[in-house]
Amino acid sequence: MNYYLLIPFLPLAAFLINILLGRKLFRHQAHWPSTLAVLGSLVVSVLVLIDVLNGQTLNRDLYSWIISGKFRVSVGFLIDQLTAVMLIVVTSVSFLVHVYSIGYMHDDPGYYRFYSYLSLFTFSMLMLVMSNNFLQLYFGWEAVGLCSYLLIGFWYQKKSASDAGKKAFIVNRFGDFGFGLGVILIFLTLGTLHYSPVFETIGTLSEKTVSIFGLEMNIITIIALLLFCGAVGKSAQLPLHVWLPDAMEGPTPVSALIHAATMVTAGVFLVARANPIFSLSPTAMSVVAVVGGLTALFAATIALVQNDIKRVIAYSTVSQLGYMFLACGVGAYGAGIFHLYTHAYFKALLFLCAGSVMHAMGGELDCQKMGGLRKYMPVTYWTMLIASLSISGIPGLAGFFSKDEILFRAYAAGGVGKFVWLLGTIAALLTAFYSFRLIFLTFHGEFRGTEEQKHHLHESPKAMTIPLLLLAIGAVGAGWVGIPPLLGGGEHFAEYIAPVVGHPAGEATHAEEWMTMGLSVLVGLAGILTAWIFYLRKREIPVRLAEKFQPIYRVLWNKYYFDELYDFIIVRPSLFVARNIIMGFTDGAIIEGIVNGVPAFIGWLGSHVRKVQSGLLQHYATFMALGLFLLIAIVMIVTGV
Amino acid sequence: MNFTDIHTLMPEIVMAVLALAVLLSELVIRRKETVGLLAIVSVAVTAYFIPTSFGTVFNGMFISDGYSVFFKFIFFTCLILTVLISSRYLEIERSSHGEYYALLMFATLGMMLMASAGDLIVLYLGLELMALSLYVLTGFIRHEYRSNEASLKYFLLGAFSSAILLYGIMMIYAQTGTTDINTISSVLTEKKATVSLLLSVIFLLVAFSFKIALAPFHMWTPDVYEGAPTSITAFMSVGPKAAGFAVLGRVFLVGLYPLQINWIPLLIGLSILTMAVGNILAIQQRSVKRMLAYSSIAHAGYAVIGIIAGGNEGVSAMMNYLLIYMFMNIGAFSILILMRSEDFLGESLDDFKGLAKTHPLTAGLMLLFMFSLTGIPPTAGFIGKFYLFKAAVGAGYTWLAIVTVIFSAISAYFYLRVVIYMYMHEPEGEAVSLSGSPSLGLALLISALLVLFIGIYPSPFISFARIVTG
Amino acid sequence: MLEFFFGYLSLVIIIFSLLVVLSKNAIHSVLYMLVMFFHVAGIYLLLQAEFLAAVQIIVYAGAILVLFLFAIMLLNLREELSAEQLTDGWPASLAVVAGLLLTLMLSLGGFTTTFNGSWSPEKIKEITFTKALGQALYTGYILPFEVASIILLVAIVGAIVLAKRRLN
Repeated sequence: MNYYLLIPFLPLAAFLINILLGRKLFRHQAHWPSTLAVLGSLVVSVLVLIDVLNGQTLNRDLYSWIISGKFRVSVGFLIDQLTAVMLIVVTSVSFLVHVYSIGYMHDDPGYYRFYSYLSLFTFSMLMLVMSNNFLQLYFGWEAVGLCSYLLIGFWYQKKSASDAGKKAFIVNRFGDFGFGLGVILIFLTLGTLHYSPVFETIGTLSEKTVSIFGLEMNIITIIALLLFCGAVGKSAQLPLHVWLPDAMEGPTPVSALIHAATMVTAGVFLVARANPIFSLSPTAMSVVAVVGGLTALFAATIALVQNDIKRVIAYSTVSQLGYMFLACGVGAYGAGIFHLYTHAYFKALLFLCAGSVMHAMGGELDCQKMGGLRKYMPVTYWTMLIASLSISGIPGLAGFFSKDEILFRAYAAGGVGKFVWLLGTIAALLTAFYSFRLIFLTFHGEFRGTEEQKHHLHESPKAMTIPLLLLAIGAVGAGWVGIPPLLGGGEHFAEYIAPVVGHPAGEATHAEEWMTMGLSVLVGLAGILTAWIFYLRKREIPVRLAEKFQPIYRVLWNKYYFDELYDFIIVRPSLFVARNIIMGFTDGAIIEGIVNGVPAFIGWLGSHVRKVQSGLLQHYATFMALGLFLLIAIVMIVTGV
Repeated sequence: MNFTDIHTLMPEIVMAVLALAVLLSELVIRRKETVGLLAIVSVAVTAYFIPTSFGTVFNGMFISDGYSVFFKFIFFTCLILTVLISSRYLEIERSSHGEYYALLMFATLGMMLMASAGDLIVLYLGLELMALSLYVLTGFIRHEYRSNEASLKYFLLGAFSSAILLYGIMMIYAQTGTTDINTISSVLTEKKATVSLLLSVIFLLVAFSFKIALAPFHMWTPDVYEGAPTSITAFMSVGPKAAGFAVLGRVFLVGLYPLQINWIPLLIGLSILTMAVGNILAIQQRSVKRMLAYSSIAHAGYAVIGIIAGGNEGVSAMMNYLLIYMFMNIGAFSILILMRSEDFLGESLDDFKGLAKTHPLTAGLMLLFMFSLTGIPPTAGFIGKFYLFKAAVGAGYTWLAIVTVIFSAISAYFYLRVVIYMYMHEPEGEAVSLSGSPSLGLALLISALLVLFIGIYPSPFISFARIVTG
Repeated sequence: MLEFFFGYLSLVIIIFSLLVVLSKNAIHSVLYMLVMFFHVAGIYLLLQAEFLAAVQIIVYAGAILVLFLFAIMLLNLREELSAEQLTDGWPASLAVVAGLLLTLMLSLGGFTTTFNGSWSPEKIKEITFTKALGQALYTGYILPFEVASIILLVAIVGAIVLAKRRLN
């Protein structure tokens, strides 16, 4: 199983080749190294999956960077059931996005740069998921964040793009700060950062509490919550979700790969990976479940009214990530990972379809200015329809199985689970609605754009449509590995992943399972139907509703004023502090004082020392002798002679 | 000693014979590069005898152990790198004479004797052999005033420090009746730490401090380093300094170990003063060569921490630091040599303006070496500092580690200033023309690769140093 | 009697050493040094080190000083002769000397007079000094002896390198 090393290092090699030689050697062929590398990784990932299915797992350090006592920084790999799934998800989506980008990015001047970043991202993401310790995870975590920043701001000449890049970077700092603290706390309490000893010994901390602001808190809960902090930032959960919609400024393939299928799911992966820690803290679990549930609903409501197709899908991503956390929070990590895996395909598909639409519309994003694209771009239409059906939870498609699993597990868990189940079910209704609102506005009805746009409407090139078709297969069939016993399936996925995450707790009767399943299908259909009525039959209803419920509409349209709120409580005060206190006072008085004063002082010192450093031999000899006698004097005084 | 023990001395004997051979070879070999090549071959031949050399001969006067072998490894590498960076440079300075290489080899022989010295007499003679060769090498550019002056200063101050060393040795002998380092140790364990003993310790400390340029005995360094041929500056700041550390370690951690409580505070004081003087004065310099001279002072201040911490951990950290310092420092000096051409000094900070635009590869390498000297991961400099700090913390000197971190943060200012000049300034006037040569390129390649390699994969070096000291 | 000779020799050595340093005329310095060297040889004789005494006179007084004289006479030192002192840093020098003297005084108390080497005075007396020295130098101390010879070689090479005219 040594070939597993190829998985991360092929993309790394492609990155190095492209960044060093790309500009001169490849130019418009820069996709070759990157795409071939990720294809290689995909093939090896499949082999690894086969090994894992045969029961071969692996956990070993490749090499140690720093060993000193208990502190060991090493690059190591853990390949188990969870890793294998993530490998397949990352490499397959990444490969398809690489292919898609050949068509999408083909005349961009930064073509080689784009591909080298993609390769670097793929490498970092693979290192993240394959890590066997928290530190490497953390490095991978920061590295994918860096790539995300680079790719969001890929068109850095555009101010909104570079602003969005900065926003993503800064918002993620908040979460990563917590994550970093969590990692440090793990090391301080357990003395190691490798998963297996951490997970084996974490139970010994269950009695330990610390008092924070007078509140007695279990140390495991603190660790879990700090780790979750990082997950909230990276996976754009409430209240750190604000960066993800803005991240859509990046090229669409990037949105599909990083901001839908892979990087943003790293938070879910983290929680699932650290499940032995989370499972020991009911408090943390409830927090995870409630944050997930609230985000699922909250993001879905915003998506209802947005017109920018990429933003709708972005909010949909936030919402779906909420589902995954919801599942983890009720102990159904398997269901969360299952949804992560199916979601990767249908959400990447949605984004790539949106990209295809943009391609045809000359970069237009407002779905109110589209319509009737169905006949111009049939492949895009059909694939996007499949993805939307899948996300709406229509039986037989991938999204159905995973979402149903989550809702059922939440319901079965009871307690908080029942509450989040309710949130999730409502969110499912909204999901179906906004997904189809998008389909209907974009592909059905009359074309509402300009004549010139209409003239240019065309289906995208093969390089783009083939990945769409392949992803559509995933959006349909990815869920078939996890068909519940109730529908005659074997629940293979849950059994497969159980060695890592265990079986979810909670019991429910068949009747209850039928009920949750039926309800989720029902709300899905209801959502689609409503969208059909609103946007194809009686187009005046949404307009009237918006007028009648003006305040609510406003709130949703403005995304609950989160950006404004942050602007008010964080950005402006920081800017104020920065401009008036730091620039005005600190910079003026202190920093400039130091910056000018230190050299002045050193200059003063220097002018005197320079006298010492006169170049005159006798002086040097005298100073040496003085130093000698000084040492003697010190020793004499200290020893008291 | 029996003749059968000759293998212990074999590397030194071979080195001496081959140095003589290289000295004579100049008579028959016209091309000076060939002489340099001969020097490198000689090192390889000498190194061949190292693995079989372990042992102690002449009643403990000469010790070949893991400790000395590690240092000899540093000396050999240093010699090879110096030869590689020298040949083209000497032509530019119009000082291409074959004796250069022979003198380098004699200096290395002196260093080898220092590292292996088990007796203060051998130590002193090794030191003199090294120093005498260096005095000559410093003044090797005969037609240049700077070089002559540096040589003379170095010679006179060096003689002064030798006198102090002899004084110290005399006092130690007078009180213990021996010059054998191990015997000194056993005699001292039974003696009380009297004032007269402490005075002799101070004399030894001052003499060694002069050799490794600890403040306030560093004053010769900036002048000599600046005046000497750049290749010799690179050599001096690495090999002889490492040799100084080798004897400091042997004498203080073995011979004077019983007085450890007494000399540690002094060494700590010298270390902090050295870091302060080296780093603060380096900020002042506009000449990169002089900046590197002060930086070399500061780095000696860091490395001393390994001896303060002591033990396997501290000594191995110090040895690794010197090894790592060799690569990054010779690398940085190689860039200076690369910049030097017939009518262009290339030592000023302004000469580095916009180098990234005109010579991106050179600038990239300089960036690597500057990062490493600052101690930014994943370069080797970080690893070196990390283990020093760890040794300090492990020995209970956390506050000293913190002081060092602060000074190393200050050092970022002047190292990264070079980077800023290269990357953020526009080139001025005509583009700098580089005077590269294959051998210089090879030296740069070796330095850069090792700076990266040790930075990324340090464990073989760390465990090697641990094993030889353990 | 021994004490008297030792006192006399030491006193002369100190006085003439000072004269060497303080004299303005370099040739006078060299001649003072000659006297000083002879008295050092006397000290060696007192210690029954007749070989060292002979070497001291032959090498130092005979060879080195003659070289010094040659060197000084080849150089034109008229300007230095008219100077007030040789250096203007004499107070510092004096302080350094005083300090070293004080240090020595302080440490004298710790000096031991016992031997733990293999050459006791009785044994040296028995087999004569020259033989003892030869045995020590060519057996136990052969390594330092050989290293010293290399140092001398390097000194010669170095002097030639620094002094010879530029070839090109």
